[in-house]
Amino acid sequence: MADHTTLPHRFFLSISLLSILAVSQPDLTKELVSLRSSSESGVIRLTDDTVSKFITSVSTPRPYSLIIFFNSIDLNSNPLQEFRREFAFVSASFIANNNNRSDVANKVFFCEIDESSDSEAFGLFGIQFLPQICLVDPLMENLQDKTGRMEEEDVDGTAESVVEFIESRTNLTVGPLHRPPLLSKTQISVIVALIAISTPFLIKKVLKGETVLHNSRVWLFCTVLVYFFSVSGTMHNIIKGMPMFVRDHEDSNKLVFFYKGENFQLGAEGLSVGLLYNVVGLLLAYVTNALVRVRSVSGQRVFMMLAMVVSLLAVKKVVYLNSWKTGYEIQTYWPSSWH
Amino acid sequence: MAANGSPKPEPMAAKKASPDLLNSSFSFKSLKLKTKQQELLLRVSILGLVYVLAFIARLFSVLRYESMIHEFDPYFNYRTTLFLTEKGFYEFWNWFDSESWYPLGRIIGGTLYPGLMVTAALIYWTLRFLRFFVHIREVCVLTAPFFASNTTLVAYFFGKEIWDTGAGLVAAALIAICPGYISRSVAGSYDNEAVAIFALLLTFYLFVKAVKTGSLSWALGSAFGYFYMVSAWGGYVFIINLVPLYVLVLLITGRYSMRLYVAYNCMYILGMLLAMQIRFVGFQHVQSGEHMAAMGVFLLMQVFYFLDWVKHQLNDTKLFQTFLRITVTSAILVGGIALGVGTASGYISPWTGRFYSLLDPTYAKDHIPIIASVSEHQPTAWSSFMFDYHILLFLFPAGLYFCFKRLSDATIFIVMYGLTSLYFAGVMVRLILVATPAVCLISAIAVSATVKNLTSLLRTKQKVPQTGSAKGVGSSKSSSKVTLDQSQPFHKNGAIALLVGVFYLLSRYAIHCTWVTSEAYSSPSIVLAARGAHGNRIIFDDYREAYYWLRQNTPTDAKVMSWWDYGYQITAMGNRTVIVDNNTWNNTHIATVGRAMSSYEDEAYDIMRSLDVNYVLVVFGGVTGYSSDDINKFLWMVRIGGGVYPVIKEPDYLVNGEFRVDKGASPKMLNCLMYKLCYYRFGELVTEYGKPTGYDRARGVEIGNKDIKLEHLEEAYTTSNWIVRIYRVKPPTNRL
Repeated sequence: MADHTTLPHRFFLSISLLSILAVSQPDLTKELVSLRSSSESGVIRLTDDTVSKFITSVSTPRPYSLIIFFNSIDLNSNPLQEFRREFAFVSASFIANNNNRSDVANKVFFCEIDESSDSEAFGLFGIQFLPQICLVDPLMENLQDKTGRMEEEDVDGTAESVVEFIESRTNLTVGPLHRPPLLSKTQISVIVALIAISTPFLIKKVLKGETVLHNSRVWLFCTVLVYFFSVSGTMHNIIKGMPMFVRDHEDSNKLVFFYKGENFQLGAEGLSVGLLYNVVGLLLAYVTNALVRVRSVSGQRVFMMLAMVVSLLAVKKVVYLNSWKTGYEIQTYWPSSWH
Repeated sequence: MAANGSPKPEPMAAKKASPDLLNSSFSFKSLKLKTKQQELLLRVSILGLVYVLAFIARLFSVLRYESMIHEFDPYFNYRTTLFLTEKGFYEFWNWFDSESWYPLGRIIGGTLYPGLMVTAALIYWTLRFLRFFVHIREVCVLTAPFFASNTTLVAYFFGKEIWDTGAGLVAAALIAICPGYISRSVAGSYDNEAVAIFALLLTFYLFVKAVKTGSLSWALGSAFGYFYMVSAWGGYVFIINLVPLYVLVLLITGRYSMRLYVAYNCMYILGMLLAMQIRFVGFQHVQSGEHMAAMGVFLLMQVFYFLDWVKHQLNDTKLFQTFLRITVTSAILVGGIALGVGTASGYISPWTGRFYSLLDPTYAKDHIPIIASVSEHQPTAWSSFMFDYHILLFLFPAGLYFCFKRLSDATIFIVMYGLTSLYFAGVMVRLILVATPAVCLISAIAVSATVKNLTSLLRTKQKVPQTGSAKGVGSSKSSSKVTLDQSQPFHKNGAIALLVGVFYLLSRYAIHCTWVTSEAYSSPSIVLAARGAHGNRIIFDDYREAYYWLRQNTPTDAKVMSWWDYGYQITAMGNRTVIVDNNTWNNTHIATVGRAMSSYEDEAYDIMRSLDVNYVLVVFGGVTGYSSDDINKFLWMVRIGGGVYPVIKEPDYLVNGEFRVDKGASPKMLNCLMYKLCYYRFGELVTEYGKPTGYDRARGVEIGNKDIKLEHLEEAYTTSNWIVRIYRVKPPTNRL
């Protein structure tokens, strides 16, 4: 802990040294500023080359500090990407709050290193686990040094924790966070307008008793929908927070939709199987109940053949997927005398 | 059969139309049976076969192993049933059990649902009375299959009520072998659910019947069905919420009738009074938040009736409108205030954790680890649905469609039952069981309606003049279909193809169900089976070995500490006192055991001394590769222990968020009591050819601490396959 208390002092010292050195290395700061302005929410994506350019090959004290977020797209972890968004909020808020004070704004830059594309730069820091945030202050030489890291128990995935970390280590104030509202102003106004226009019509319909709620087709549709979401394991996905699909461990361009193993599933596989159930069931209902009322004979024939083929394929597919996923092989038990 | 009203005319007419379709009808003809009698005979014999089928399909485990009780909870039920038959009902009702939850004990009579035990005891006494001298264990083992057979009968009558006799027969056949139900009702799974599903379906059937007829006697029957359900299983909460919801939907959709009023009021009031006789439920039925919906709907019914009466009295519509507005507003206001005051004053208790976790599925994960830790409380993946329902999943949407085509009070009920229970089944794996009857019934409607439509298509080709009578109940729609048919011979082929498809699907269902029952649901889990290298079956009977060892080699007042999963089995088979068991009523006590297991040996020793523990029992699968052992459950012990005692911290046992037992494991993990007890002397053992000593086969790693020394405990017994290990707690050393 002793190290942490001295950090602001180190930072001050470095700032004062900067004023001398800043003259010698103004280009790097300018370059960083331009990189920042071209990147989304001001988070600079550092690559193997830029890490060496801005950190390792610059003599200390550097005229700037870097706050680096270590990311890994391949890990495909939702909490990590959420934290990355929070980090972007901090960056954007910092820039917005210090817009007219270039002396403050140009001292700290928010960066990101991705393990999947720039593993060399990532390795320089000796990061063992994610998420991790590191402050490279102007005097830092040994990148493996853990004093610049955010404490493990402080990493809780919120923008507030990042702000606290920055403010405790650098004497800078980030200022209020600017989170984007859930709906933009135009969206809200459009929704309000739609509601306002439709209200009189709705009231008229309710009074007449002609709402969608009085239509049994709507209810049928809703029940099928509830059924669909129940059997496709949506609750499983919500409770366990499963993603719709994951990236393959070996090949990051390949997406994996189906997970082998009985008690887990990915979002997309459940939904696709649930869809197959409903397709077969509703086709059966349609063929036996509604198709007979179609007048055109050839239409009936074509549709019926189509329905049979589709049902057959769907059932085969589901049974195949189930056997593959669970690893069970269903056998028939014949009487032993038949063998 | 006579009690169930006259059968609908169309099936007999159907049989009349095609007697030559059935080979057996020739013999009927020679016997000169009337069509109605033929039909009845067929129906009864099919039902009889289904009844037998449902029973014998559940006997795999008895044939393969022996007649024994399965799993964990059934051992408690067996122990209490034994007590009931030996000591009688009053002793049972007032039983204070000092052998579990030491030193607290447990009031058994007030904390259990006695329905199952009383049922088994009654069957036992009846058999004794008839001079069949069976052992009570056999009765317990076969109770579940017997009630499953009875459920098929109820399913038949229910199906007949909501659709027709054909649907009833199909529903009975489907539910007889549906894996979702078999999973909880094989011979030996002597658990509450075994009788509860029967009671649940019976209650629903009688209620639907009561709503249909408006008769007090059916409503009374449904109240008694509800009483039986309450006495058997905590799942009765589902009934007492679904029925009011159903009534509410009927009220909203304008289907209020005097029949509904009679049925619901009688069922609710009598059912409530009867349910309160069960001590475990008692006044909860009028106080807890889970039961408030039923009471609210009951009051709403009175308001409806009152309004009806006032409308009858006042002939002026305008006056009535004003009156209506005032009454409805004040009723809602009064109800809201009463609920608010009741909750605030603590008179109405809030919802329990389990109920919350159903409504808000993420609740349990965050707040109650003891619920989230149980594997059967996990949410359901699609493959589990497929495993338990198979083709019913394809038929269900079709069944829904048919139900909507012919909306009635009964079909509305079955649709609501199906959808709510399927939602709950999605939240918790074990609730697939509750949804099974509904899924079978709705699918049966789909099968029956489809097959009926198709066969009538086939028949009308042959016997054109009879079409009119064959379509007795059929709507004008289907007769128009018939007239269309006559000009389209193609339809016949299409109908045959579809029929073949449906029968193919059904035969696949039968094959799937038999296989699943035999391979997946018939293992007793107290005796483990594995396949050897040559495909032969290897039996591990270590649990019983350990429990009998305890029974014969330890002092009768010895206290055994183990994780709660094994508590019921130790008391039932080992006859020794346990610290915690599967009735997880005291979280702190369980957390204390969790804390002892996850502390260092000397700290754990103090805890064990304070609980007077003499023996510690752990389950270990490192030698056999048995994966549900205590090491794999260990993180839950840490979580539950840490939930009460903050000194236990989960990250101390993890390395970078990963749970390991090899060299890279955290030091706390390598030296905690559970690790030491499981892996004591394991470092000397070669478990698999070509692997180093101390190779854990359940986790596939070489263990990290091979040199384990015990200070305060000593090994007392390890079973032949090392699955159960028992340690004796040494008495404190003499102080000099």
